[in-house]
Amino acid sequence: MNESTILTVENLSVALDGLPTLSNLSFSVQQGEALAVIGPNGAGKTVLFRALLGLIPFDGVVRWRTGARIGYVPQRFTVERSTPVTVLEFFLLNSPHFWRPRESDMRQIEEEISRMGLDARILRKRMGELSGGQTQRLLIAWALVPQPDVLLLDEPTAGVDASFEENVYSLIHRIQTERNKTVLLISHDLSVVYKYAQNVLCLNQSIVCQGPPLNVLSKDALARIYGESGYYAHGDHPR
Amino acid sequence: MPEFVHQQTFWIALFVGIASGSIGPFILLRRMALVGDALSHVALPGIGLALIYHLDPFYGVITFLAGAALLVFWLEARSEIPADAIVGLLFTANLAIGILIIPNDEIIESLFGAFPTLRTVFLLAILSSAAALTLCSFLLARRFLFSIVSPDLAKVYGTGRGYELALLLIFAMIVALGIKLVGTLLMGALTIIPASIAKNVARSMREYVIFSTLLGGAISVAGAWIAAKLHFLPGPSIVLLGVAVFLVSIAIRRHSI
Repeated sequence: MNESTILTVENLSVALDGLPTLSNLSFSVQQGEALAVIGPNGAGKTVLFRALLGLIPFDGVVRWRTGARIGYVPQRFTVERSTPVTVLEFFLLNSPHFWRPRESDMRQIEEEISRMGLDARILRKRMGELSGGQTQRLLIAWALVPQPDVLLLDEPTAGVDASFEENVYSLIHRIQTERNKTVLLISHDLSVVYKYAQNVLCLNQSIVCQGPPLNVLSKDALARIYGESGYYAHGDHPR
Repeated sequence: MPEFVHQQTFWIALFVGIASGSIGPFILLRRMALVGDALSHVALPGIGLALIYHLDPFYGVITFLAGAALLVFWLEARSEIPADAIVGLLFTANLAIGILIIPNDEIIESLFGAFPTLRTVFLLAILSSAAALTLCSFLLARRFLFSIVSPDLAKVYGTGRGYELALLLIFAMIVALGIKLVGTLLMGALTIIPASIAKNVARSMREYVIFSTLLGGAISVAGAWIAAKLHFLPGPSIVLLGVAVFLVSIAIRRHSI
């Protein structure tokens, strides 16, 4: 494995309930790269992430660089309303100082929260009381607190208002470039892919195309990925 | 002599009550209130077998409860098996077997508990185990909560299923410690009741665990004291007192909303 390679995937295949969901995926990701994963519904994008994270069984090889710290922002996340866990406690789940948080922990949490445009008062709220958009922003802040080397984002702006969506992406972009973090991003928004991703992985059970978006996302390729009707799935279209 | 007996009861009620309260919130949040409640029934054939082979019943209790905890853990990982039906049937079958094999003069005590008269060594072993298990609940609280809030995130960040097994085993051991005093039918309830009350008043998870722990100690000591005064069995007194406090906590909650 190359020094700067942070992830190598070879012949990755996943079968869910006996049905092939991903077949023979091979690709690698470099340190500091932003890789967008695109594809229609049911293409296996989330399944790919879950396999990379070791959450589901798979065939083939998934090799992270030794010691690479991974941050994960899942697509769907809800905490039951009646569970009395507060936002602060949610952040402390990852800290060994759950019962008596240290000042440095608190500072870091507050910093990441304000970076995501949230007020520190939200820490006292219960997780179950938050709106979808608040939860989504919080999850990104949450994933950043432990200072990961790689960030896996599964549609990070689902449920975030359109006005904030652009903010989220430019923020993620800043994190990637300033802190040299690797970003793997599932997105339906091709404008985001063109703007922020160095490489794109088009998925539809197997890899349909991969490479820099401007090179590989030709009209033909898009038709192959999304079908002739184009790429208007989820109400997003290239701007 | 009677004062001494009551003193033993007091200490066991306090320590086991506290331990029950400390683990209860996690059992409740995992939606295992009913499984947890019924788990204690599994101890009954253990008591019966121990009596038949002239062993201390505690060994039978701990073996059967640990076995039940492992079974629940195994079933949870298998979505294709109707776990709730199996647990329900198996636990009830254990209760039935236990009732058949336990001698008649021991049955009431096994089911509903009794004022313990233990050797000092044994008493100290129970108290120190209860204290150690309480400490474990607090130290592992973050891990338990993590896998309840999001099993996926927990796994990605290093909190694997091993902690779920730890939770079930700690729970089974606390139930085992309390069975002498509270009985196999009602001991499960002692772990659920303080947590149910605390949930109605706590504003955070940390408050929830602390309230539940304190309530566990207070309710079981007060219940055992009432039983001693009025010559009731300790198990039913503790459980009924707990349920009464629960009803009050609902009223408080309604009032505060």
